Amino acid sequence: MAAAPLDAPAAASGNRFTVFDDPEEWAVFSQPCSQPCSQTTLAGAGTGGLWESQVLVQGMHCAACALTLERTLLAVTGVVTARVSVAGQRASVIWSADLTRPSKWMAAPQAAGYVLLPAPDAFTPQEGRREARLALWRWLVAGFCMMQVMMYAFPAYITRPGDISPDIQSLLRWASWVLTLPVVLFSCGPFFQNALRDLRQRRIGMDLPVALGIAITFMVSTAATFEPQGWWGQEVYFDSLAMFVFFLLTGRWLEQGLRQRTAGALGSLMQRLPDSVERQSASGTFERVAARRLVPGDLIRVLPGEAFPADGQIVEGETLADEALLTGESRPVPRAAGASVMAGSHNLSAPVQVRVQCTGRATRYAQIVALMEQASLDKPRLALLADRIARPFLWFVLVAASGAAAFWWQTDPSRALMAAVAVLVVTCPCALSLATPTAMLTSAGWLARRGVLVRRLQALESLAHIDTVVFDKTGTLTEARMALASVTLRSGVTRADVLQRVSGLAAHSLHPVSRALVRAAAGDGLSPSWAAPEFTDVLEIPGSGIQGQQAAPSVARSGGLLRLGSARFCGVEQPPHGSTAGMAADGKETPETVMQVYLADDSGWLARFDLEERIRAGGPAAVVALRAAGVAVQMLSGDRLASARRVAGRLGITQVQGDCTPQDKLAHLQALQNKGHRVLMVGDGLNDGPVLARADVSVAIGDAAPLAQAHSDFVMPGGQLGMLPALLLQARRTMRVVRQNLWWAAGYNAVCVPLALTGTLPAWLAGLGMALSSLLVLGNAARLARAPRGL
Amino acid sequence: MDILFLLVPVSVLLALAVMGVLAWAVASGQFEDMESEGQRILEVEVSTSADAAVPGTGGESKA
Repeated sequence: MAAAPLDAPAAASGNRFTVFDDPEEWAVFSQPCSQPCSQTTLAGAGTGGLWESQVLVQGMHCAACALTLERTLLAVTGVVTARVSVAGQRASVIWSADLTRPSKWMAAPQAAGYVLLPAPDAFTPQEGRREARLALWRWLVAGFCMMQVMMYAFPAYITRPGDISPDIQSLLRWASWVLTLPVVLFSCGPFFQNALRDLRQRRIGMDLPVALGIAITFMVSTAATFEPQGWWGQEVYFDSLAMFVFFLLTGRWLEQGLRQRTAGALGSLMQRLPDSVERQSASGTFERVAARRLVPGDLIRVLPGEAFPADGQIVEGETLADEALLTGESRPVPRAAGASVMAGSHNLSAPVQVRVQCTGRATRYAQIVALMEQASLDKPRLALLADRIARPFLWFVLVAASGAAAFWWQTDPSRALMAAVAVLVVTCPCALSLATPTAMLTSAGWLARRGVLVRRLQALESLAHIDTVVFDKTGTLTEARMALASVTLRSGVTRADVLQRVSGLAAHSLHPVSRALVRAAAGDGLSPSWAAPEFTDVLEIPGSGIQGQQAAPSVARSGGLLRLGSARFCGVEQPPHGSTAGMAADGKETPETVMQVYLADDSGWLARFDLEERIRAGGPAAVVALRAAGVAVQMLSGDRLASARRVAGRLGITQVQGDCTPQDKLAHLQALQNKGHRVLMVGDGLNDGPVLARADVSVAIGDAAPLAQAHSDFVMPGGQLGMLPALLLQARRTMRVVRQNLWWAAGYNAVCVPLALTGTLPAWLAGLGMALSSLLVLGNAARLARAPRGL
Repeated sequence: MDILFLLVPVSVLLALAVMGVLAWAVASGQFEDMESEGQRILEVEVSTSADAAVPGTGGESKA
């Protein structure tokens, strides 16, 4: 089981969750179980009470995952109920405070590959849920009443005037009126509220014509029902009204659902555990506190696997730090007593005690964040086309409606009102307001199913116009972790034997090399848990290697000292090459080799491991596809120019720049933009953050630091480079559909408004036309949900 | 057709009653999670030690 905890970000599994064992901490995302739980007779349950916690789940792909997770949670003593929702990526757990603690049941699913995080909005979904339920109820009422009212209105359509006796007719109208009341008073509530709000702000919005149309139609129809001889007229339009409201609500409801699904999936991505760290208290013991509470001068102890929560100086101990997030450099950097460490870098090998110097805003991490936020404010914003047009259009609609009313008033008052209503209804800018969002939301859904999450819908529009793509190297084009490329063995030694022994030793270390070797052994099918030999007296020397005493004898060797590390550490003077006689060469050094480590024991040199940075699968193909789509490809890297060129060569990228600081990247980007290029930036590390925010469009790939994701337009947690060309093509398709929809909306309005003005358009036809137009727009947008030909 | 004078008001009352039922359905969370019921048929009943202590946990977990 050594491989699983080491790979997980919370290295000592369960350790990170102990901060939640404080009742104050777990109260943030839990509440006492209020509903009568039928399981209160749990054996041994005391008065600690039952708590219901809301957590986010990462790592779920399908419904079967939900079952696995539920079973895992229920297997923990003290957990009463576990309910997992795949769609919402959430779980609700009811547990007993007497029998268990959050750290236990939160850590349990880690072995199965799921990460649980406290839901930050554990209680605000109550708000969202209530609103969603209300919206659903409104829609159901509108739909149901629509059907009933249409039934009552049916006789009026199929009979000739005079066939129905007047009292039956007024009975039917009365019934229609009663059932339209809920629609107008309840289902249309949001429209009236928004319209009133807009009026109060002296602004005109989409809902104003809608509200006006509904109000006028209802008043006219009511008057006709109760006072048929009145001057309002004889016609009733309850069925058109109900149908029209139903279609409007359907559009909005669909929109809401789609938005919820994409936003919800992203919400879980941006969650992290609260940073907690061990701080020395006044009595000298170390207690775990939230990182927020640190002040300069505190002495903290940072364990291997944790991130440094603040800038500081190492007081005791020495270790290796992974500063890849800040500098992009993938090799770990040794840090000894007296050296400074940066907030955000990871402690890799040994516990160290650090005196805190800067916290919060003074740390470099925070400065990068500030740079990012500033850059994102300057981000060029392309105004929504419909938004620019809609406002004057709405004014036109209102003016036209009142004009028509005024014009017809002289000749035929009832016709005047209905002409006005027809104008209001038929030009309901639903097609206009649905045209863009629907297409974008459908595309967002299509992309989400393929592993690309859209954070900003408008980015689809920008993406359709880009002509340059700039990639970061480490973690974007290459995988963030090292991989074992080849093994060179001494004659008489087998690869399996060597890997097994080294994985047993490397399991004690968190160094990226060790982790890579353990993964390689696991990948070869050698399970370290039962086959790896035990090691004692394990000593890790930062910068050199790790050594341990092999306890139990393995198959071919007796116990002894095993060393894994640099050439000098292992006592190898001449680095052996594959062509030297007596070597059983298993592989050769590749151009991507980043590091070479040796394995030696008492009898001498055993093996040499070549580790490399692997390029993400699909990289070269993606670059070719992007070029074929007419986009130039460039690469910027914070790593050395030589290694950047190596990777670029493999991918076919010619324009490369290395040794870039965050400022260099930003400057390069701005230079490109000044030349008139539209740039798509693809990155991952925190030091890409400012550049991602500044680019026209940005994509965050892989397990990026959450902050970078928060400023990028798209997120690809799966890290499939192959989806980039597909994303670009989908954006272009989306904009094509949007333009088609807008043309249709314009044409339809151009034809129908004159008809309505002249009074030749009956209100029911106007309602039907508007509904059909909306459906057409929706249908056109739905085409985006299907994969295009050739993809 | 005089019967309509009875039937139409009754139908209106029925419609209102149905809307009341819909209100209850929405408020009691019947529409919360539409997918898991369909997948319930694929679930395999496995009794763990936790199930043994508390009867009916296997079904309860999907409630």
